[in-house]
Amino acid sequence: MESPLTPYLPMAVVLLLAGVMAIAIPLIAGLLGPKSMTTAKSEAFEGGNAPMGSARQRFAVKFYVVAILFIVFDVEAVFLYPWAVNFRALGWFGYGTMAVFASTLVVALAYVWKKGALDWES
Amino acid sequence: MIIPHFTLNDFLPVMPVGVLMAAAIVLMLSEVFLTSTTRTYQAIIAALASIVAGGIAVNNAFEPARLVLQGYAVLDPFSSWTTAMVCLGTFLAVLLSAGFLKHRNAERGEFYALMLFAAAGMSLLSLSAEFITLFINLEVLSVATYALTAFLRRGPRPSEAGFKYFILGAFAAALLLYGAALIYGATGATKLVEVSAALPAAFAKSPALVYAGLGLVLAGFAFKVAAVPFHMWTPDVYEGAPTPVTALMSAGVKAAAFVAMVRTFLFLVKGIDPVIPFTVFSLLALLTMVGGNLLALPQRNVKRMLAYSSIAHAGYMLLGVAALFAPKLVEAGAKVGVLTATPLTGTAQDVSVAVYKGLLFYILGYTVTSLGAFGTISALERREDETRGNTWDLERFAGLAQRKPGWAAAMALFMLSLGGVPPTVGFLGKLFLFSAAVDAGLLGLAIVGVLSSVIGVYFYLRVVVYMFMRPAPIDAPAPFRHWTTELALVTSAVLVVGLGILPGTITEWFSRVGMVFGH
Repeated sequence: MESPLTPYLPMAVVLLLAGVMAIAIPLIAGLLGPKSMTTAKSEAFEGGNAPMGSARQRFAVKFYVVAILFIVFDVEAVFLYPWAVNFRALGWFGYGTMAVFASTLVVALAYVWKKGALDWES
Repeated sequence: MIIPHFTLNDFLPVMPVGVLMAAAIVLMLSEVFLTSTTRTYQAIIAALASIVAGGIAVNNAFEPARLVLQGYAVLDPFSSWTTAMVCLGTFLAVLLSAGFLKHRNAERGEFYALMLFAAAGMSLLSLSAEFITLFINLEVLSVATYALTAFLRRGPRPSEAGFKYFILGAFAAALLLYGAALIYGATGATKLVEVSAALPAAFAKSPALVYAGLGLVLAGFAFKVAAVPFHMWTPDVYEGAPTPVTALMSAGVKAAAFVAMVRTFLFLVKGIDPVIPFTVFSLLALLTMVGGNLLALPQRNVKRMLAYSSIAHAGYMLLGVAALFAPKLVEAGAKVGVLTATPLTGTAQDVSVAVYKGLLFYILGYTVTSLGAFGTISALERREDETRGNTWDLERFAGLAQRKPGWAAAMALFMLSLGGVPPTVGFLGKLFLFSAAVDAGLLGLAIVGVLSSVIGVYFYLRVVVYMFMRPAPIDAPAPFRHWTTELALVTSAVLVVGLGILPGTITEWFSRVGMVFGH
C-alpha cells in the first residue's frame, strides 16, 4: 500500500538496526569480555586530575537569571531576522507589528534592569 | 506575499485583553520605578483595569457571532460573556489579594500583573479558533498561574503546590499539543473551521488517528477543568496556593477552559458517530459529579473541602456539555460542529439555547460564590497558623457567629449557594442547568446530579453548623480588616442573593440565539 510514509522506510530500517546494535553490543561485551576490577579502574575518571568535591554543587542563582534573560532577548532576534529580510514587502504593517513587539521587550528590559537582575555584584 | 488586512473590527474581541495587558505592564513598571511604601494603589489600578475590560467585553457580547483575525479567533457572545465573567472574577480576586498580601507584608506589583496576565490568557483562550493560538493562550494563562501559586515562597506548601501544578500542567499541555498535532496530521489544518470541514474525510481514511487526537485534546482540557479522573492535582494545588489565587483558579481558569473545550469539540466531532462524544462527556460528568462530592465528604480542612467541591461543580458543568451532544439534539437536525448560517429551529433550538444559558449562568453563579467563599477563608487564616497545619480546620470556624456575625452570615450564604439552596444564585444555576439537561433527554444523569448535590449539602452545612452552633475556641482568629476585602465580600454576597432573586435581564442576555459561532 502506498502511504505517505513509504519514502521513510530506509529510515525505519536504520532505526531498527541502531536499536539492535545498542542492545546487542553491550550485551555481547558483558557476556564475553574478561572482568578484572582494580582500584584505578573503579574511579570516576581513569585519566586526568583526581576528582574533587561533589558533582551536586549549588550554583549561584544569577547564572540562571542571566541564562533566562538571554533566551528572552535572543528570541527577539529570531523574530527580527525574518522581518528584516522581508522589510520592504511587509511595509508599514510589518513595521507597526514589530514596533509593538520590540517596545514590549524594551519595557521588559527596563523592568529587569531596574529590578537589579543585571547587577552581577550585588 | 499576502499582507493581512485587518480592520478595527478584527481587534474588537481582543480589546479587553489589551486593557488588561497594558495595566499589567504599568503595574510591573510601577513596582520598580515608584518606591512608595503603601501599595494599595496597585490593587486599585488592577481592579479598575478589570472593570474597564469587563465593560468592553459586555459591550462586545451584543455583536453578531463571526470569525475575526483571519479565522484565528471568534467574536461571539459565548466568548464575550466568558471574558466579562473572567474580568468580574479578577476584579474580586484582586480586591481580596490587597488585604491578604498586606497582612503578609507581601504586596508586590508583580502579583497583580501576573493576575492580569492570567486573566488576559483566560479571555484569549475563550475566543481562540485555531490550535496554535489555543495552545499559546493556554500557556499564557498557565505560566501566570504557576507563578502565582508559588508566590508566597516561604514554607513547603507553596513550593509543593507550585511544583506539582507546573509539572502536571506542562504534561497536560503537552498532551493537548500532541492531540492537536495528530489532528493536524489527519486533516492538514489547524484552524478549527478548516479542521471541521476536513474531518469527515480524514475520519473515513484513518479513524484511529482522529480518535487518538481527539482523546489527547480532551485529556488536556479535562486536566484544566479538573474533571475526574484528571483531578489528582487539584486539592494539593488549591490548598497550597495563596487563597485569592485559589479563588481565581477555581472560577476564572475553569470557566475559560470549559468554554474553550466546548468550542473546540463543537467543531471536532463532525463526521464521528454522535453517540461517542455524548457517551464520553456523560461518563466524565458522572464520575466528576459523584467523585468530587464523595471525596469532599471526609474533609475537615475547609479549603481542601472547597477544592473538592470545585471538582464537583466542574461535574455539573460537564453535565451541561454532555447535554450539548445529546442524541435528541443531534437527531433533531442540530448539526453539531457544522458551520451553518441557519441556526437550529423548533424545540431543538430552544433546548440548545437553554443549555448555553444554563452553562453560562452556572459559571457566573459559581464565580461569585466561589470568590466569596475563598475570600472569607482568606480573611480568617493567619500566617502564624500555617506551620501548625490547622489554618483551615473546621474548628477555626467554630463560634464565628457569636464573634463576627456579619462574616458568619456571609460565609453561610456562600455555603448555601454552593449547596444549591434557594434563594441563592447557586440554586438557580443548578435549576437552569438540570432542567436544560432533562429537556435534552439526560434524565438519568440529571437525577444523579441532584442526588450528588444532596451529598454536597451535608459538608457545606457542616461549616454552617460549626459557625453557628459550636462554642468558639479561646484562641480563635478574628478576621483581618481591610476595606478591599470587605468590598469584595459584600459585592459577592450582593451578587449571590441579587442574581438568585432577580436573574431576569442576565438570563435574557444569556439565552439569545446565535450564542456560539458556527452552532
